[in-house]
Amino acid sequence: MSTGVEAVFISYEADIKRKIFFLVSLCLVLLTVMAIGLCVGASGIGLGTVLASLFKDTGRSFGIIWMLRFPRILMAVLVGFGLGVAGTIFQVVLCNPLASPFTLGVGSAAGFGAVTAIIFLGTGSLLYGVAGGAFLFSLLSAAVMILIAKLKKASSETMILSGIALMFLFSSLTSLFQYTGTMQQVYEIVFWFFGSLSRVGWPEIGLAAVMILAPFPLLLRSAWDFNLLAYGDESAMALGVNPDRLRIWSVAAASLITAGCISFTGVIGFIGLVAPHITRMIIGNDHRFLLAGSGLVGGIILVAADTAGRTLWTPLVIPIGIVTSFIGVPFFVFLLMKRTREYW
Amino acid sequence: MLEARGIFFEYNGNKVLAAVRASVEKGGVVSIVGPNGAGKTTLLKCISGILKPTLGTVHLDGRDALGMPRREIAKQLAYMPQSMFFRFPGTVFDTILSGRRPYFAWRPSLKDLEKVETIIEEMELSELSMRDMDQLSSGQVQKVLLARTMIQDTRYLLLDEPNSGLDLRHQMELLETVAALAKGKGIGVMMAMHDLNLAARFSDRIILLHHGKIFSAGVPAEIVTPAKIRDVYGVESIVTRDNGYLNVQVLCCSGEQELDKPGRLPNRLSASGRKN
Amino acid sequence: MIDMHTIVSQKRLLHFCRMLVAMSILLQGKTALGTSITVLDSMGRKIEVSLPIKRIVALNSDVLEVLRTLKAQDLVVGVFSEIVRNRDFWGDLAQKSRVGSWREANIEAIVALHPDIVVAYSRNPGPELEKKMAPFGVKVLRLDFYKEDTLEREVMTMGRLLGREKEARRFCDWHKLHLDKLIKRLGLVKKRTSVYIENYTDYHTVAPGSGGHDMCTLAGGRNIASGFSIPYPRVTPEWVVSQNPDVIVKAAAWGGGYSLKTPAVFNRQKEEIMKRPAWQHIAAVAYGRVHVMDSAIWTGPRAIIGMAYLARWFYPKLFPDLDPKAWHREYIEIFQGISYRGVYVSSGFQETGK
Repeated sequence: MSTGVEAVFISYEADIKRKIFFLVSLCLVLLTVMAIGLCVGASGIGLGTVLASLFKDTGRSFGIIWMLRFPRILMAVLVGFGLGVAGTIFQVVLCNPLASPFTLGVGSAAGFGAVTAIIFLGTGSLLYGVAGGAFLFSLLSAAVMILIAKLKKASSETMILSGIALMFLFSSLTSLFQYTGTMQQVYEIVFWFFGSLSRVGWPEIGLAAVMILAPFPLLLRSAWDFNLLAYGDESAMALGVNPDRLRIWSVAAASLITAGCISFTGVIGFIGLVAPHITRMIIGNDHRFLLAGSGLVGGIILVAADTAGRTLWTPLVIPIGIVTSFIGVPFFVFLLMKRTREYW
Repeated sequence: MLEARGIFFEYNGNKVLAAVRASVEKGGVVSIVGPNGAGKTTLLKCISGILKPTLGTVHLDGRDALGMPRREIAKQLAYMPQSMFFRFPGTVFDTILSGRRPYFAWRPSLKDLEKVETIIEEMELSELSMRDMDQLSSGQVQKVLLARTMIQDTRYLLLDEPNSGLDLRHQMELLETVAALAKGKGIGVMMAMHDLNLAARFSDRIILLHHGKIFSAGVPAEIVTPAKIRDVYGVESIVTRDNGYLNVQVLCCSGEQELDKPGRLPNRLSASGRKN
Repeated sequence: MIDMHTIVSQKRLLHFCRMLVAMSILLQGKTALGTSITVLDSMGRKIEVSLPIKRIVALNSDVLEVLRTLKAQDLVVGVFSEIVRNRDFWGDLAQKSRVGSWREANIEAIVALHPDIVVAYSRNPGPELEKKMAPFGVKVLRLDFYKEDTLEREVMTMGRLLGREKEARRFCDWHKLHLDKLIKRLGLVKKRTSVYIENYTDYHTVAPGSGGHDMCTLAGGRNIASGFSIPYPRVTPEWVVSQNPDVIVKAAAWGGGYSLKTPAVFNRQKEEIMKRPAWQHIAAVAYGRVHVMDSAIWTGPRAIIGMAYLARWFYPKLFPDLDPKAWHREYIEIFQGISYRGVYVSSGFQETGK
């Protein structure tokens, strides 16, 4: 008997090690992509200058590295991470592989909130206004979604359907602003709709980091509860989880993360849907590893996409949303073809 | 003793359960039988606290179970649902390990892991331990779910048709495991069953539910009789005793029952009867 | 050398424009014998219109401004709905029937007005406008009025159509006189000022193919985006820093400069640009040569005013006496027939003009 038990133990340990190895590799890839992003740019500042600028003020190059490239890359990491994590949460909580911040209307609502703040508070220094507006509306849409589902006995289909309805509502409201707005407002909305990392500075990063990273430890702590929830509410309840409470607070947390991602960079969709699935296909559905994995994969995709977008056609910029799709979609389709796991 | 008394349950104004009383001693096996829609699953869910009964009490060794925190219940009483879906499936090992969830916070202890390994070995699941749940046959899934329920280390098990969808061999294997748990470890088992023969064979007591009420309760020989089967299921049958086991043979649908209850479908009933 | 070459090519461009004007007049001369006239619109199409034209729908502010220049505002029966944002400037014209947005007109509203012609931009609204108007016998004329090199020809075409050649000629003469003033003196420029122009949306610039690029070049600036292949490209802040332009000009999508009493709106945008991270390393920001211009004088019939401001911002020493405000006053009072007022650029002009 003991040999059999040992064999099981060994394969379990190997499985855990494989997952940890995957996470560590992701970190290394992310650091590499970040380093590459830091060394390329329209100004042609190369590796040597970058290294020198890291430690001493070299004037203009120093400014370019520290004020332009670094914030941009850090924000890409944060936003990619946040969308990946939020997507994973929405998927498991609604037991639906199609769920993501944008398919659920939370993204559109956050966008509407940000645009509303921009229009009514005016452009310029209104960091907290935009972030607050985005969070308020993303939370509102999540609340409406949960409320509808609650009244109709929380089935995941109801939540998805109400989410899609909300997405259309908020998209239309934003379009209405665009249609009736003054020229200045229209161009502001255009900037926002394209999705862009160009406006990001250190204050934005600070606020976004709080909104995106603060809820993460809480979510990670409940990894086992998410694992149980994936097998259905009854099974989760039988093992001591309160599914409704878990669902409500984690959707609120994911909405906060979504708002943090969207407030300062505009619409960068798609990652929230794809990053979790890419990670699931590689390391499976254990949320202890999946949450961080999805975040890292999202970060890698976004940094890579941004770096490609501003160097491929330098000095022109290909909007980040476009490059994300160009990089993400083929990879995703490739994995879909090769996958061994079937979820849907 | 696990004891539910005066359980009423209403869903959208429909009375699903009315004044149901059910109990099981440690080491005992109690089967809940009855036609489709009689309220078997609902009763198990009410006792396990997954559904909140409209009225009634559940006592776990004398303590009020309905007022206990979820996690506390999960340490005393394990519930195995009839089926589960695997949208985002984990591995067999992780699924069984999740049965220890009431005992650890984030990182399972070595003891937890050892328990998982032992039970995987006992239930001959070693080959499958790193497979994802959606790659198993339904018999294997039931085995894994039973393993997860067992590893919860509770004094009572509530099983909802544990043998559904299994072939003869797997049915016997699973029910023998359950019986061994009851007799060997003194665990109280309450299970919903469709198959009267198996229910009669593996249970100390049988509760026969009909339209959400207890039609009759007692030792198998008192319950599994042609008269009661006719009244509740609406079929004519003969019950024999072969090799020490009760054996129900269904003959045909009862005519008057058909007229009496137009909502019942005689075809389906006779079909399920023939399966026995 | 390079600089001289471009100035010469500018002159050639202008010469070419004048030839085009002459040609189109010739074309009209031949066919204007009967009760109809055939003109060449901005898309190069020959459009035959019956005379006289008594009812016009003007779908954008550029057309409407030109119609007022031609003293033809009485013929206007329908206007674009956005006109209400600028009531002060348009006066009674804002009371005319409104027929929807400049890029998405309400066909039914236009038809109800029984116009003889509808005048719109080449690209907006789309070709469905012609399709929908054809059954009602309404001619759609596409005249842009926002590109410097075709402005004079387009104004002359409009004048010919309405029998107001005298007014059209008067505007073209005034326009040419001022343009020549600028170009003559810009011929003296040795080293051209490098300029980053930001369009209405942040980090969107203008490149060859856009009206903004033409304005910048005609005003003697070297657009740092002149090598790009798309007219309205997006750039990174890093690229702007690395190009280190001498002057930054932002086109503000305001358009209502006529109603303004202070430059606060433009100054806010100017400050926002100067505060952008790492932009203190750009010469334009370091020396305070960042300017914001209202879209009212940015491209369109009043582009010459905008160009005067640009020339003065680019070469303050070369144009110490240039007074764009006086030019603007002439235009507003002579051609638009209203009194001059409003604020159209951010402050800081006086300092750099010294």
